[in-house]
Amino acid sequence: MNIELSDITRKFSRNVAVDGVTLDAGPGVLGLLGPNGAGKTSLLRMLATILPPSSGQLTLLGRDPRKPADRREIRRRLGYLPQSLGYYPSFTVVEFIEYFALLKEVPPHLVPKAVAAAVEKVDLGPRAKSKLRTLSGGMLRRVGIAQAIVNEPQLALFDEPTAGLDPEQRVAFRALIRDLGQTATVIVSTHLVEDVGAACSEVALMSDGKVVFRGTPQELTARGEAGQGVGDAPLERGYSAILSAARAAS
Amino acid sequence: MTAPDDVDLDRVWTSVAAEVWRRHPSRLERTATRLLRSPGLARALLTTPSLLFPWLIASAVILAIGALAQVGANQPLVGLLAPVVAAVGIAYAYGPGIDPAWELACSCAVSDRLVLLTRSVAVFAVNAALGLAASATTLGTRAETHTAQLTFGWLLPMTAVCALTLAVAVAFRSAAVGAGAGVAAWIVVVLARGAFTAAPGTSSTAASLATAVTDANLYLPYLAAAVLCAAVVYYATRPQRGIQ
Amino acid sequence: MVVNRSRTECNRRVMDDDELIARVASGDGDDTALRELFTRHAPWLAARLRGALPPEDVEDVLQETFIAVWKNAKTYQPQGAPAAWLWVIARNQAALLLRKRGQPAAPLPGEAAGPSTDFAEAALTRAHLDAAAALALGGPDRAEEREVWRLLYVEDRPVAEVAKLTGVPEGTVKSRAHRARRLLRAALGGAPTGTHTGPHATEGGTR
Repeated sequence: MNIELSDITRKFSRNVAVDGVTLDAGPGVLGLLGPNGAGKTSLLRMLATILPPSSGQLTLLGRDPRKPADRREIRRRLGYLPQSLGYYPSFTVVEFIEYFALLKEVPPHLVPKAVAAAVEKVDLGPRAKSKLRTLSGGMLRRVGIAQAIVNEPQLALFDEPTAGLDPEQRVAFRALIRDLGQTATVIVSTHLVEDVGAACSEVALMSDGKVVFRGTPQELTARGEAGQGVGDAPLERGYSAILSAARAAS
Repeated sequence: MTAPDDVDLDRVWTSVAAEVWRRHPSRLERTATRLLRSPGLARALLTTPSLLFPWLIASAVILAIGALAQVGANQPLVGLLAPVVAAVGIAYAYGPGIDPAWELACSCAVSDRLVLLTRSVAVFAVNAALGLAASATTLGTRAETHTAQLTFGWLLPMTAVCALTLAVAVAFRSAAVGAGAGVAAWIVVVLARGAFTAAPGTSSTAASLATAVTDANLYLPYLAAAVLCAAVVYYATRPQRGIQ
Repeated sequence: MVVNRSRTECNRRVMDDDELIARVASGDGDDTALRELFTRHAPWLAARLRGALPPEDVEDVLQETFIAVWKNAKTYQPQGAPAAWLWVIARNQAALLLRKRGQPAAPLPGEAAGPSTDFAEAALTRAHLDAAAALALGGPDRAEEREVWRLLYVEDRPVAEVAKLTGVPEGTVKSRAHRARRLLRAALGGAPTGTHTGPHATEGGTR
């Protein structure tokens, strides 16, 4: 198991962002769905070791992120794309990705090839030496994806990765994470239900800080058929059925 | 002619691109890498916003004006300017206020505390060197503005002001707030000491202000303030705080 | 990925190879021009190399070839077939690779050819060429021609460099090269070289 969460809670003053989440995940792609404010970003930040839990037990890649040496080892094997990622306008695509490869302590002699591979994987080869200030929003997002995969992470966390990507690029991204999920644990937090259906082997649905569903996309679809979900697509109906049930219960 | 099936041209191109796109670090960066024993830390250091060329030029110009004022008009401004120049540089060395990718940087293996420490020390050292250079040019001016106290005495208040700026910037996660606090604190100290030490009925001059704030009686308070602020920085950058 | 993907975000008009090489040679180097050259030429280069080398070696040679193109684009003279120039570099890189391993030169087509050129494929193999050279240029009276042959054609140095190394004017280098080629042709029994300009005619200026 690459991720082991046991009764994880995160509070900000009186607001409980993540409420008693227990989750295990091994290699594969896990889609994290939920409305705004459900706690997805806070959960992802805890997995990215940048936000400590208020309580509960968190083990990542078999290590305890509270210990500095372990935290460093986790971060070397971690890829993270935050929901909003700023860029250094005067850096080129290659310089930006290389910068984070170095900060992730990728061995220096491996950095050029790792950067080139990441740039090609997100199809930014023709713009490799362009300054970031000249790129569109979708291209910048792809730069963000590239830096997240440059160190061939064992744990890859993507928060709204397809924002700003056109349909063709979204398809390419799904192929990328399916490939990555062969050996790594990939968690994609998104509110785009179709991203989940196409790329994820498993889905977790969060509402009000709790995980209210964990299963395959097919199981989510089945819940939509059984319950009274609304939506144009089967997954959307499953999503709304579970959310309604969760709200009714609380 | 198409490529043979067992030859992976994509892999070949990636290797070619690696060589073509490779960045060749400057000698300065290679030296920093050897000294810091971390290529990531060296790169983080050399991309410090307040160590970039335009910033350094601006700082040098301000201190040069101070030196000229000291030489030409007998106004020892270097000692009054250097602390705020350094403080603003420190505020804009690190943190979410100036780093648009700060959240991402916090998730990286190179510790953000280490980056903060390295950048702050470097900015302080560079500004101290610039200040000393400006002061050195004023050696040989008139005796009342050329004393060891006025030439070097500003280093300790500079340390305290920088520590305060860093502490506020880190606590509030804002470079602007930190810089503002540092500059404001220094102005208050200068004016207060000036008022305190001025003979009744006389107005303060730059010389009297500079002398007042570099007085030996203040060494201990400056030092204590610096240590306290360092503790605040240490506490505010604890991993348990996280990015929130 | 690179080869099969359609050109995206690239509105450049279709440039010919000479223009692309010139762009690679200009300033800091145009990496997108190199990429285009790779897309066009890597497949057929790979196919030709594959005739003599295993896949991993083909990949290594191709990699070194295009890195050499990146570094030495300035030496290209746009008066012949860029494909021929590329092939010469590739063949030399292959020979270097094998020499490093201490293996005898693999039989590779000596003639420079590309998918869009009219040169006839030569029957010469590199080993055949080396053997012929040893025959034709052996002996103490051929020392000068032998040295020029080695520097100019085996080590692929430009004429100016060979002149400096041997301490003779460029004209002398050229006439020695001419003599060497003549001797070699005789030793090969007048075997066809495809064109009257010879296998190295298009690289690095007139020889």
